[in-house]
Parts: sequence; structure tokens; C-alpha cells
Amino acid sequence: MKESELSRRTLLFGQLRSPAIYISSAVVSVLPQHLEEVEQLLSAMPEVEIHHRSPSKFVIVLEAPDSGILGARLAEISGWNGVLSANMVYEQFDEAAGHGEER
Amino acid sequence: MSLSRRDMLKAQAAAVAAAAANIVIPAAAQPVAQGIGTLEIKWSKAPCRFCGTGCGVMVGVKGGKVVATHGDTLAEVNRGLNCIKGYFLSKIMYGGDRLTTPLMRKKNGVYDKNGEFTPVSWDEAFGVMADRLKAVLKAKGPTAVGMFGSGQWTIWEGYAATKLMRAGFRSNNLDPNARHCMASAAFAFMRTFGADEPMGCYDDFEAADAFVLWGSNMAEMHPILWTRLTDRRLSHPHVKVAVLSTFTHRSSDLADIPIVFKPGADLAILNYIANHIITTGRVNKDFVKNHTTFVKGVTDIGYGLRSDHPLEMKAKGTANPAATEPIDFDAYAKFVKDYTLEKVSALTGVERGFLQELAELYADPSRKVMSLWTMGCNQHVRGVWANQLIYNIHLLTGKIAEPGNSPFSLTGQPSACGTAREVGTFAHRLPADMAVANPEHRKHTEEIWHVPHGLIPPKPGYHAVEQDRMLRDGKLNFYWIQVNNNLQAAPNNTQETYPGYRNPDNFIVVSDAYPTVTALAADVILPAAMWVEKEGAYGNAERRTHFWRQLVNAPGEARSDLWQMMEFSKRFTTDEMWPAEILEANPNYRGKTLFDVLFKNGNVDRYAASEIPAEYENQESKAFGFYVQKGLFEEYATFGRGHGHDLGPFDLYHETRGLRWPVVENRETRWRYREGLDPYVKPGRGVEFYGQPDGRAKIIAVPYEPPAESPDKEYDIWLVTGRVLEHWHSGSMTMRVPELFRAFPGAVCFMHAEDARVRGINQGAEIRLASRRGEIRIRVDIRGRNRMPRGVVFVPWFDASELINKTTLDATDPISKQTDFKKCAVKITAV
Repeated sequence: MKESELSRRTLLFGQLRSPAIYISSAVVSVLPQHLEEVEQLLSAMPEVEIHHRSPSKFVIVLEAPDSGILGARLAEISGWNGVLSANMVYEQFDEAAGHGEER
Repeated sequence: MSLSRRDMLKAQAAAVAAAAANIVIPAAAQPVAQGIGTLEIKWSKAPCRFCGTGCGVMVGVKGGKVVATHGDTLAEVNRGLNCIKGYFLSKIMYGGDRLTTPLMRKKNGVYDKNGEFTPVSWDEAFGVMADRLKAVLKAKGPTAVGMFGSGQWTIWEGYAATKLMRAGFRSNNLDPNARHCMASAAFAFMRTFGADEPMGCYDDFEAADAFVLWGSNMAEMHPILWTRLTDRRLSHPHVKVAVLSTFTHRSSDLADIPIVFKPGADLAILNYIANHIITTGRVNKDFVKNHTTFVKGVTDIGYGLRSDHPLEMKAKGTANPAATEPIDFDAYAKFVKDYTLEKVSALTGVERGFLQELAELYADPSRKVMSLWTMGCNQHVRGVWANQLIYNIHLLTGKIAEPGNSPFSLTGQPSACGTAREVGTFAHRLPADMAVANPEHRKHTEEIWHVPHGLIPPKPGYHAVEQDRMLRDGKLNFYWIQVNNNLQAAPNNTQETYPGYRNPDNFIVVSDAYPTVTALAADVILPAAMWVEKEGAYGNAERRTHFWRQLVNAPGEARSDLWQMMEFSKRFTTDEMWPAEILEANPNYRGKTLFDVLFKNGNVDRYAASEIPAEYENQESKAFGFYVQKGLFEEYATFGRGHGHDLGPFDLYHETRGLRWPVVENRETRWRYREGLDPYVKPGRGVEFYGQPDGRAKIIAVPYEPPAESPDKEYDIWLVTGRVLEHWHSGSMTMRVPELFRAFPGAVCFMHAEDARVRGINQGAEIRLASRRGEIRIRVDIRGRNRMPRGVVFVPWFDASELINKTTLDATDPISKQTDFKKCAVKITAV
């Protein structure tokens, strides 16, 4: 946990809240001939992991401190060349998971 | 090393997505996990608020607010997937400029059409509205009163509106904005099958061997259905996809047969395919002999413009554009013989090879074909014909009413089918496909409503475009708009819509959640509750009726459209509103309010509010003292039960993710008209189109006729309007979601690079786009997602700051009265 974020200001405003994360998964359908190109683009995106793949699909997991960022990323992916559709499936908001890697 | 909590969450998220994508083993549980549970979010089901697909979503509520939504894995339509608009559903109710109090134009403390919007109480708003309405009725009668509703109304809101207008105010001037999007489809269903709505369902996506998109850009407009289609195509190599359009778009990426045709020429392509099927000997003779009849339509039917327009004066078939006469197969074959490959290729600008490949998809008896279309066919001056010509080729080959063989009309609004069409909110319709012009249908309706005979007026009212014209001409003087943004949506709005709203003789009321351009042009604005702020029901494109509970309260004094209509009805008595002779013959109706006779009629007030589970609010039932939604639904369902439109019992819909009608003995029907699949088909018939008295569908002979306005020397380029993935319709909801706004912040004019270059226009430059009706300034995009052919531009209409409908033409299909938003002539100049 980044203790340095705890300031007098956050205390005064009652914002003593753990940093939270949103974890979402999405299915990206791709024209098979564009699979590699899309894979490279996905890999280059911040906080995006490819978890599963088929000849025409990726299951990706996105992570961000705010659901809006996730949606904006998905909108961007939807517009890529070779992407047929990008649909969100699952979203989880978690406070505890924001505390770091091992707890 | 043990997995971190974060890794576990990610693995779980990925597993659920993989299951939804059919990649790995399915996960049994709903993706509502302990992490969210710890935040005390309460999850309930609802259909999505946007398009006609009807995806199921889970809605998470915390502290009286919707805080999250996700795709519902138990919903058959989307199986857990959520498109980008659906992903942001939780934000649509929380725009910063949400309307929370009634507003009225006032000067010196009283209503004044030229005054400023001033907050008023509901009592004051309704008081002024009732006074105006009564004055209009006294001066001009019921034909001067009108209402413009929506395919976004819940089923019971549309039903309450049709009762209030037809039996209360005795006016058929009720039309939905679905006139702008579905009327051609609905008319074609009635003319071909004698019953509205598709015979097939979304299960056809997994059974078809070919998909043909007639003008539809499903990749952007119906992303979830597009995902089902792409899954089928990519996992079954024999499957083919044909995409027809007037320009190249995202759906074209998947096309095995990409076809870009000249605007309006789809009619010729369809007749060519029929000719190809006949001349290559691939007519399914048994099917045609046993299940179809042939008719010929009136031609040269005009363009639905004002009757003094030169095009209308010139047309010879305007008197009865819907008329047909019987012909036989030979006469039909002779009629389409004219549509040769050579001729149609020249007319449409499409390569012969592509036309042949397309025709073979339909002609090949071993290939199951799903045809899909939306606005390209419907918003068409020959939209009814275009729809019927698609049915022709499915009927000639018998490729209909069985899994995978499916002419499928997609819809654009969440309840265009469920409310606008099934409930009967069109100016000419009554519930369950009945018509106001039919005396038996009126009588039956009056009986179910428990109102005196002779009350419902026999003459169809003004349709959407006609309402605007009558407002402008001062013949329609009291006008109430609910759940739509018609000043942005209507064609030629500077000349034909806005003047009517500001006509000093008229009084305009708009109920909306946000201050749309329509609301700001009104005299009274009523703040509306939206989506899960009320209990609701929608009907999607595959005949699926889907319910939801009220999950949160609307902000401030916002109230549902249903409450608004019912509460307003208390301000009128039968003695004021109904003819003396009807009351004389039915004295027990004297001295009652419209609320008493329409909503406390023994049907609607039959169910107790205590039936509503205690965990859910229901503002309307609280206000009126009975379970309003159940009473309205059960009375409405009486119309269809036993007539092929059967809806199940009310409570069943709260337990399921929707059911496709007819619902007989609590079982839904996936394919209609086929024995063994549809309980209404009589044993031994095999296929029966029971909407028609003879059980036969109609194949129609109608020609290619040109659009109302084509480019010429001065206005030298086609304008096509439409939509984009990120925004829904007029953008009143999606433009208020910051992420969607940022993803596509303003409308642009998609244009061919060479068309831009010869006009001295660079990428991103501002241009002047002008038609004979009006003009806008807009930026050019020559590299974007839509790739335009020479001579055609595309502009989406979601952007209130770029009102493209200032330039469109108010030409309609003369049969359906639906506007053609896809074809008019403009000129483009650099600024």
C-alpha cells in the first residue's frame, strides 16, 4: 500500500479510502488474418493482458482505477483495423486488491 | 508462490469471458462475485435501455443509485456480453443537466409562449395544460390534439397512451417515433403475412449458412448480434457473408461478398435475384404452390411529400399507393424477367460477379440464408416494397420460418416491437395488429376497455411527418411529446418541424429526462423518470417481452411518463370530453373522470399494490393505490391471447429473461408458421401463414422506382444519414456519458478523398453542407471508419450541435409514411 498517499487533506475530507481497482474482462473478435497485428496492439496497451485466444478471438483482462478508463480502452479497441467486435463481459470492483501484489 | 488476490480476480474475470466466448469450460455462477458483494451492491435484471437487440443486463444498485451494470450471463440474447454503449448504462441517468422539476414558459408570472422557462409545480403545469387542451377541443375538436410517443416507451406506457388518446381525448393523432424507423417493416409484414414481426428469432444466427445484410451496419448498430454472426462465420468456414450498402463500413470487413450499390438501387438487385432464381430453375415449386399467392402493386406512387409538391402532382398512383391486384406465377416471372444481370449491374454500379454470387446464396437449395436489415430498407421511399422484395426471394425458395432460413427485420429501439407495434401506438393501429378503420376492431377494443361503443374515432390520425406539417399549418394545436427528441430526429426540421413548435397557435409539451433540443423548443417541459427508475417492459426484435423492476427512484420531482398520463387524466370528465349522444346512451359513464373510466375500470385496478415485492419501489402503484403495471399489462394481453399474439401471465416475465410470443401454456415460440414449432399451425399443414385468411403469404410484383431527389448539377452529391457505434440515436443519453462523448465527440462528414480534393477540402477541414432545405457546418473525415464511394457522403445524426436533419428531405414511403433519411442531394463547399 502506498502509505504516502495518506495526507492531512484526505483525512480532513474523509477520503481515507484504500486505492481501488476495477478488473474487467472482454472478448475481442478478430478477422483471423489480423490476429497477430491485433495481438501486438493489445500487448502494447497499458494494463491489458491477453488471457485466452482462439483463431478469431481474444479474451483480455483490463485493469484500471476507474471503470471509465476501461470503457474508453474498449471503445478504442473496437475501432482497430481487423477488429470485428469488442464486448465487455465481466467487471469487478475491488478495494482490497488495490493494496498490492501479496497480502 | 501463491497467487495474489489480484491475479485470482483476473483469472476469474477471464474464465467468465472465455465461457461467454465459448473458448473454455463454462462457469456456472453469475459473474457477481464476493468482491462486489462486499460493497453491498444489490443486483437485479433488466433489458438494456438502448437498441432493439434487447440484451439482458444485471443492474447494481447501492445507496439508491445505479452504480454498475454488466452483461447478464443468463440472458440468451447476449450471454453475458455487453457492447460499449451497454457497458456505460449505469451512467445514463446521472448527466449533470438532468431535469428534476416541471418548467413552463412564463412572463409576469403567467404562461406565455414567448416567456422564459420557469420552474413550476406539477399542479400548475397540469392545470395550464388541461386548460389549453380543453380550449383546443372546444374550438376545433379532437383532430387538433396530438401526441408523439416512442419505441422507448415501456409497454404499459404505450398502452396507457393509446387508451388516453383514442378513448379519452378521442383522437387518433397518436404516433410513435418508430414511424421514423420501423413503419415500412411493419407494413410489409402485414401486407405479406397478415401479421406483424419476424417469424424467426436470434437462434437463426447459429443455424444459417449465409448472412445477407441489406444496408445494415450491424458491426456498429447491433454489436452483440454482430458478434453472434461473426462467431458463426469464423467457426464454420462454409458460411458466407454478403454486405450490401451504399458505402463501405465496419461490417464490410467480414464480407465474402461486399457490394456497394447506388442509393435506391437495392430494389433492382432484389428483383434480379428473383429473376435469377426463376430462370435457373430453383423455385421451390411445392412451397410456392401450397403457401403463397401472387399480387401486383400500384406503381408511380409518389414520395409522400406535401400534396402540392410537383413530384406528387406528377405521380399517377398516389390515390391508393397500397392497392394490389392478384396475378399468377407466370405473370410474376414475366414481370421480373426485365431485371437481367446486365441491366441491373449497369443500374446499380455493382460488378456482375458479385451480383451472381449474391443471387446464388438464395438460389442454392442447400444453403440456409438469414437476411438482415434495418434502416437502409425501412428509411426508403420504397421501404415497404424493399421489405416485401426480400420476402419474395425467401418465399420463392421456401427459405423461411425454419431454423437458419430467416428474413429478419432488425429494430433500432428497445421496444419498437413491444410497444410501438404490438400495443398499437401508430395513428392507424389498435393493439394486436388491429386497425382503427375496422369497425369490428374498434368494437372489440371498446369492449376490452369497458368504454361505450362509438367512442374510438374511425379515421386514422396524422402520422409523424404529417403531425409536423399540421403543427406548422396550425391544424394541430395541442401536442405532447414523450421519450423522444423529434426536433433533432425529424426530416427537414428547419422548414417543417421547428415552425410548428413555435407557431403561436400551438401548445407544445415535452416529457424528457434531459433538456434536448426538442424540450427547449417546447412550452412546457415535464421531467421524466427513465429506465430502471420505473417498473418496465420492452419487446425486442425477436418478439421477446422482457420485464424489469423499479430499482431506484427518479431524482427530484421527475415522474414516469405513465404517472404523467394517468395523473393528467384526472383533470378531465367524461361530460367534458365525450359526445352527448354517447353519454345519453350510456348514462352510467356520466360525471366520471377519464382516470375513472380508463384506469379504474375494473381491469387496470384489479391487482393490489401489495403484490409488489417489498424490496422494490413502485412509484406509480404507490400513487394510484393499485398494481398499475400488472393491471395495464393483463388488460392489454387480453387482446392477443388466443389470436396468435399470446403473452404469458405477468408474473412469469419477472422470473425469466424474457419470452418470445406467442407464449402458449407458458411456453415461448421461437419460429412461427411452421408445424411442430408454432402451436398455431394446424396439424398437417406443414407451413401456415395464419395471419392471412387463406394461410398464404403474398409475393408481390413491384418495380425499381428512383429516389425522390437525386444529385444534379447544383446539388451534386448524395447525403446518407445514420449512426455510429458510440452513440445511440439523438445522443441525449450517450453524449452525457463522458467516455462515449470523448470516444466520438462530434458528428463528422465522411467523404471520399477525391471528392474532397476537387473541392479544395483537406482532412479535418470545416465545410458547408447544404441542401435545398437548409445547411450546416461540419468537419470532413476522409480517413475514418466509413469509406465512401465517389459522390456519396455520410453524416451521423447524434450530434445536437450539428443538426443534419436541417438538410434532409421530408419524403416518405407513400405506403408506410416512413421518412427516407438515406437519400437526398446536397452540395459541399469549403469554408
